[in-house]
Amino acid sequence: MLELKGVTLAYGPVTAVHEATLRVAQGEIVTLIGANGAGKTTILRAVSRLIKPKSGAITFEGRDITGLSPDKVVRLGLAHCPEGRQVLALQSVRDNLELGAYIRSDTAGIRQDLDMVFGLFPRLRERAAQLAGTLSGGEQQMLAIGRALMCRPRLLLLDEPSLGLAPIIAQEIFHIIANLNQQGMTILLVEQNAHMAMRTAHRAYVLEAGLIVAQGDAKALAGDERVRKAYLG
Amino acid sequence: MSLAWFLQNLVNGLSIGSVYAVFALGYTLVFSVLGILNFAHGAVFTLGAYLTYVLAVGEFGLNGLLAGMTLPFKLPFALALLAGALLSGLAGVAVEHLAFRPLRKRGADALLALVSSLGVALILVNLIQYLFGAEIYSFPSDVLGTLPPAVILHVGEGLVAMRTIQVVLFGVSLLLLIGLAWFIQFTKQGKALRAVAENPDTASLLGISVDAFILGTFFISGLLGGLSGTLIGVSFGLSGPYFGVAYGLKALAVIVLGGLGSIPGAVLGGLVIGLAEAFLPPDMSSFKEAVPYALLFIVLLVRPQGLLGKNAEEKV
Ligand SMILES: Nc1ncnc2c1ncn2[C@@H]1O[C@H](COP(=O)(O)OP(=O)(O)O)[C@@H](O)[C@H]1O
Ligand SMILES: [Mg+2]
Repeated sequence: MLELKGVTLAYGPVTAVHEATLRVAQGEIVTLIGANGAGKTTILRAVSRLIKPKSGAITFEGRDITGLSPDKVVRLGLAHCPEGRQVLALQSVRDNLELGAYIRSDTAGIRQDLDMVFGLFPRLRERAAQLAGTLSGGEQQMLAIGRALMCRPRLLLLDEPSLGLAPIIAQEIFHIIANLNQQGMTILLVEQNAHMAMRTAHRAYVLEAGLIVAQGDAKALAGDERVRKAYLG
Repeated sequence: MSLAWFLQNLVNGLSIGSVYAVFALGYTLVFSVLGILNFAHGAVFTLGAYLTYVLAVGEFGLNGLLAGMTLPFKLPFALALLAGALLSGLAGVAVEHLAFRPLRKRGADALLALVSSLGVALILVNLIQYLFGAEIYSFPSDVLGTLPPAVILHVGEGLVAMRTIQVVLFGVSLLLLIGLAWFIQFTKQGKALRAVAENPDTASLLGISVDAFILGTFFISGLLGGLSGTLIGVSFGLSGPYFGVAYGLKALAVIVLGGLGSIPGAVLGGLVIGLAEAFLPPDMSSFKEAVPYALLFIVLLVRPQGLLGKNAEEKV
């Protein structure tokens, strides 16, 4: 469904990711783990076209998206829930969610999905009229995920959805991720919380200082001595 | 200091102040989306006034490349105003393409766009001078058709004159301000525009085309500029290609007074400065041009962020 081939990414003269090659198949949860600064966010930002690759190709459902603008990629069915929540602080929770459905015009379907998101995150329904900036960190994370769902993506990119959350809320979020996947959504999950990520995902890639150093079945990788030492402590 | 005196100044102040507000909003819109002031806005203001003049009067002046030429038609004022505003909107789009987009695409420092917009302003003003000449253009007194020039109200002992043009100024401005506020606050595209202003990356991840909204913002901004240029031109005449410069500076005072980047601030700032000018005692009228800046100075001493501005943490 999503394929990166030899993608090199740089900020100015500094290369952040070297020739990354990775693949996400329809129906999978794939996780990309690695220490802080390894280049995980950079890869996701390249997929949603916020940064241009130095070299390499990115295809989505067989289509080369390397030359598209970010908003076009969303229209192809790829949603990106960015790191650090990035809710629109100055707009209401409901407006944030409705803007998540910006590319759609099927009013009835949007209302239905709004109900679906409120069902997933009842806290958001209670706070629908509140400005998003006044939500707690966990609530903002729920809003960011809910907002990404509002465009009915076929592929969902999640960048550290558990970052800064209380363990119990993080667990809830991983539970929701697994559920979404069971309903047919393909997910690329970036995490520092390798434990939870490996348990939720089918396959995993391990990124170290911009290089993919290991990949494979999540359960098998979780058993790998080197990965255990570095990431599962 | 009678009631009539007070009402007369109120009428004068609100009508001109509402135009200041519309003009200033053009700066504010671009600023809230890009975080930069567009210094070509004053030139678009001038251009709008000239274009509307030609469309309404049907002929050019006595100097410049187009001297003595006539159009095969004359539009009624309302239509000319609309057409002039739309053309100014297109001029705004051109300003974006020339002064802002190339730098943005290269990720250049925002300050550079300030300079390039100043460059485009100079080009525009010189182009106007080249085409229209440097003379004064005055709208003919019958430009508003058969409407009476003023309505006189009796208030107690005194008289209050409401000039028709003042009603037009206030009416058109009010309509625009309400329309724009409604658009930004309540419509889907308005919310998307606010998303672009708050965080362009996040907006683009929602499928919002940031480039299209920046272009749209320059169009609306140019439209507001051209329209306010025409309204002021009809009231006071077009004093030459540089007539937008003084008003441009005044509008900058308006947005800083109201709070940089704040839309309600631009409206309030415009009205406050318009009223302050109107209520200036007649024997001090030689200081009229200094009023906005004096007011600005005093307000900034007390509230550095302006009347309705947020504290400086957002955009600079
Ligand atoms: N905007 C930026 N400008 C310059 N360097 C950056 C920028 N963002 C990230 N980097 C660098 O790129 C590398 C990868 O960062 P990132 O993708 O954010 O890592 P991760 O998400 O895995 O923590 C780091 O060395 C980081 O310092
Ligand atoms: Mg990251």
